[in-house]
Amino acid sequence: MSNTPLKYNPKWIKFRNRAADILIHAALIAVALVFVYPVIRIFSVSIRPGDMLTSDSLAIIPQNATFLSYKKLLADTNFLRWLWNSLIITVSTSVIGVSLASTAAYAFSRFKFPGNKMGLSLLLGTQMIPAGMLLLPLYLMIMKMGLVNTYLGMIIAYSVSSLPFSIWILKGYYDTVPRSLEEAALVDGTTEFGAFYRIVLPLSTPALAIAFLFNFTSAWNEYLVARVVLADSTKYTWTLGLFELQGQFLTQWGMFAAGSILVTVPVLLVFLYSSKWLISGLTLGSVKG
Amino acid sequence: MNPVFASVIEVFQMVFFVAWSVFLMEVYMWLHFRKYKETWFIPVALASAPVLVCVLILSAVGNAVSGSLIGWAAGLAFLLEIPAAFLFQNKVKGKWALPFMLIVPGFVGLGLLIAYPLVFEFYLSVHDLKLATLKTWSETGYLPFTGLMYFKQVFTMSPLSEITFWQLLWRTLWWTFINVSLHVAGGLGLALLLNRNMKLKGIYRTLLVVPWAMPQVVAVLAMRGEFLESGFVNIMLHRLGEWSPFLAHLGVAPVQWLSHHAFMTCTIINVWLGIPFMMVTILGGLQSIPQSYYDAASIDGASSWQKFKNITVPLLRPVIAPAVTLGTVWTFNNINVIYLVTGQAGGTEDADILVSALYKAAFTFNRYSYSAAFAIIIFIILFGVSMLWLKLSKGTESVYE
Repeated sequence: MSNTPLKYNPKWIKFRNRAADILIHAALIAVALVFVYPVIRIFSVSIRPGDMLTSDSLAIIPQNATFLSYKKLLADTNFLRWLWNSLIITVSTSVIGVSLASTAAYAFSRFKFPGNKMGLSLLLGTQMIPAGMLLLPLYLMIMKMGLVNTYLGMIIAYSVSSLPFSIWILKGYYDTVPRSLEEAALVDGTTEFGAFYRIVLPLSTPALAIAFLFNFTSAWNEYLVARVVLADSTKYTWTLGLFELQGQFLTQWGMFAAGSILVTVPVLLVFLYSSKWLISGLTLGSVKG
Repeated sequence: MNPVFASVIEVFQMVFFVAWSVFLMEVYMWLHFRKYKETWFIPVALASAPVLVCVLILSAVGNAVSGSLIGWAAGLAFLLEIPAAFLFQNKVKGKWALPFMLIVPGFVGLGLLIAYPLVFEFYLSVHDLKLATLKTWSETGYLPFTGLMYFKQVFTMSPLSEITFWQLLWRTLWWTFINVSLHVAGGLGLALLLNRNMKLKGIYRTLLVVPWAMPQVVAVLAMRGEFLESGFVNIMLHRLGEWSPFLAHLGVAPVQWLSHHAFMTCTIINVWLGIPFMMVTILGGLQSIPQSYYDAASIDGASSWQKFKNITVPLLRPVIAPAVTLGTVWTFNNINVIYLVTGQAGGTEDADILVSALYKAAFTFNRYSYSAAFAIIIFIILFGVSMLWLKLSKGTESVYE
């Protein structure tokens, strides 16, 4: 026992593993704190009483904690209106985007038509265009059509931005649905479109949900287009509204924090619930090539 | 009228318009694919194309558009329809009806909202659209031709007020490089720490993706708040300085982050935002490496470093390479972080990269034609870099043997 080298001594190994474990946990806890701290701090600011908004206290639950900022936010600003605007724009764009993508993806997945390959690579090519590049011509088009400051203008600007990506995801998923199902349906007398509509589409609900979620989040969190198209504060989406609140920093800091919390918590919950799903969904297409 | 009610009406209009145009397109496709054999096909097709275009334009913009434009569009549609109708009758003969009917709505949308704006951008870049000519342009549609004047100006005149194009270019490359390398390093480190059987793993993972999961606008604005004069970072610096005179002597003291260190602030915020994505991707890659490789290496007496170098790194490469490509394009094109941090009135331009300068030039400074030319130059740069990258990464693809 005494002459086994330290390296192979079971007690030493156990101790070493223990120490490594503790170090790793410590490191992870430290990093996790850094990552989550801003969220905690927004929360703590949102429940500060009005006279302490810029104090340098670091306490998470401040003295005299109050929900006054939330009340003020809901009563004095257009916050609910902003949420409603965002919701309307986002749901419409996602519905339009997913329905256009679901049909186009089916064509790419099932048919060999001239331009099939080229269409798919064109779709990838659109992803290379810098986002800021199309903004100016789009804005000028929307302006010329008189759609500045309208939902229509926003929906038009958003509707195809996630289309290429959605088509790729859905195509990847359709490729995994066996063709024999459709053939059976054709034998039973449906049309080709019926086979898609009645057989493939219902089977693809998970992929459709992923595409919808993707469209939804990218439009919901969008800021730059909205900044350009929307000018009137009653038409703002919540991203613009929050930016506005933070712009006049000292007076509105509490309301900004309250609004951030109200927006972030549901988004976080949805994301955490669906993240496993989302990540596997993103690889659906690539695995099948 | 009740605003909620009004917004619902507006959305119904939109949905109705989209359904209406999809319907018109499908009718057009149906006519061409299914009725090509009929004797009345050619005259009907020739008549239908201009009518279709007129109806679409009118239902899109109502009476706001000038009659001459509709005339031009209808005439163009008629000219294009002559070869198209004969092509359908003699070559296509009804083949591929379903796939084309399925992709038409999506691709017409892409054409109108991506391809047309691209062409329009080129048109703008060689014409003179600025605040002074905007009004006449929107009334009469006339713009003076400038040739390549604006392309030259991009290199000689600042897109904003002081910074030059070359400074922006170098800063963009530096920004992309530093962000992507920190993302990969941070993501790899965290993924390695997480990739073991331990308690609380799920909780760590959940907490660590929070910056990615939050709406980006909230995340950036909240972090921006922490870098303000009275924000968390300065409070901490102040306390550190008080706590240890030695650190204070070294210069640890509150600073004006947003005005004097804007680039560093943006970088810190963007690194914080980007690490979770890399971590999740790399963790997925790590979990797909079979444990047996490591066991075999242990039996052969390999050290941890050797295992990392010879097993982990080569097997992770196929996961990391696409993530890095994606991350590079995202970082290169990242307007959000920089604009949200420095875009308010009085913000500096010390943190601007090419794309954020483009956004500001177009929409803060209203230099329309200038920014069109600027955008085309940026696009060429990005395209060149991507092609180079594709070539380079092809050279390393054979790792998989």
